[in-house]
Amino acid sequence: MAAGFITLIRRTVVAVVVGMALAAAIRVRGRGGVPPQTGGWRELRDDELA
Amino acid sequence: MAVPADPTGAAAVVFGAGATGLRIVRMLDDSPSVRSVELRDTDPDRLGEVASMLGPKTRTGPGAAVPEGTDVVVVATTTGSQASLARAAVEAGTTVITTTNEIAETRHLLAAGSEARRRGVPLVVGAGYMPGLTCLLARVGASEFDAVDEIHVAKVGTGGPACARQHHRALSSLAIDWRDGRWTRRAGGSGRELCWFPDPVAGRDCYRAALPDALLLVPAFPGVDRVTARMAATRRDRLTAPLPMMRRPHPEGGVGAVRVELRGWRRGERHVLVLGSQAKPAHGAAVVAAATALHLVGREAPAGAAGLASIPDPDRLLRAVAALGLRPSRFEGFALSRDSGGEAGQ
Repeated sequence: MAAGFITLIRRTVVAVVVGMALAAAIRVRGRGGVPPQTGGWRELRDDELA
Repeated sequence: MAVPADPTGAAAVVFGAGATGLRIVRMLDDSPSVRSVELRDTDPDRLGEVASMLGPKTRTGPGAAVPEGTDVVVVATTTGSQASLARAAVEAGTTVITTTNEIAETRHLLAAGSEARRRGVPLVVGAGYMPGLTCLLARVGASEFDAVDEIHVAKVGTGGPACARQHHRALSSLAIDWRDGRWTRRAGGSGRELCWFPDPVAGRDCYRAALPDALLLVPAFPGVDRVTARMAATRRDRLTAPLPMMRRPHPEGGVGAVRVELRGWRRGERHVLVLGSQAKPAHGAAVVAAATALHLVGREAPAGAAGLASIPDPDRLLRAVAALGLRPSRFEGFALSRDSGGEAGQ
């Protein structure tokens, strides 16, 4: 009886840990997108601020 | 109601002697439009530390009371303490500029708009780097459009320690977006999008977070379909967001940036405009707050609470911001973001 209970707790802990690891992996994986391939930034000129 | 135009200049009170507040004080002190500046902070040690950095027109003082004869109050204190200070200043009949970047506080400040209208004073909400400069850029950029239907803003970096703590909290809190004419709540840290910022910041992965920008932009752009706000975060930021901050924040962060993407219609065609800026966020916030304070001195401004997207004469304010060293940039090229796939700039 006690051994079965310990096994249940152990499996629960393993399941929670594996779940947390998977969630963490899913959260940080992947790429955000594609950067601009052409063009760039330029500061606005005085006449554009007028 | 206009701020009284005193021929000898305005009297200003600045709450908060942090990285942003101290810069605001120095900018106001440098202005010929200001005759006196009073710096307030709840920490007397901090006031003692910065006393030697203050200009000749500035003095320090304790407490939250707004002295009689004050023309403009700038609130640059820690998030959570700005609404009560702003309310007290409104009740004193003074023009108020706040720098909040937190959702609940923004709501409280907007709710104080009815009292501000009753007293005939303008209450500017979120006059910082983002929100603040982003709202102003959105307003100025919108003049290129016949109709704006989407506004997307994003930021990189943090100012002082209070800003860093707010950044940490925002990433683990619910974001608020405006989509198809209704508010939607999304999980902070979700919605990864690669956003391209002015150099040297360049591309950063940005995520939803508890940012108040939509609350300020939506009322200023009636009919807009989508308004979203994101902020850059690293993988470590996202993983540790639900936990307390592991270490004390730096006194000030490095170079940051903001960007505003407007989408809409111009002469019957789709048009996309991307504007941005790079600066240390505390410096950027200080420039915007100080320029806004000077902009409102002696000027007719509508009473009530609103963000900088609703400021009168926004072009003039943007010129003032640029004159203080925060020159905006424009992206010209092709933005291949996840859901646009369209042309940016010209």
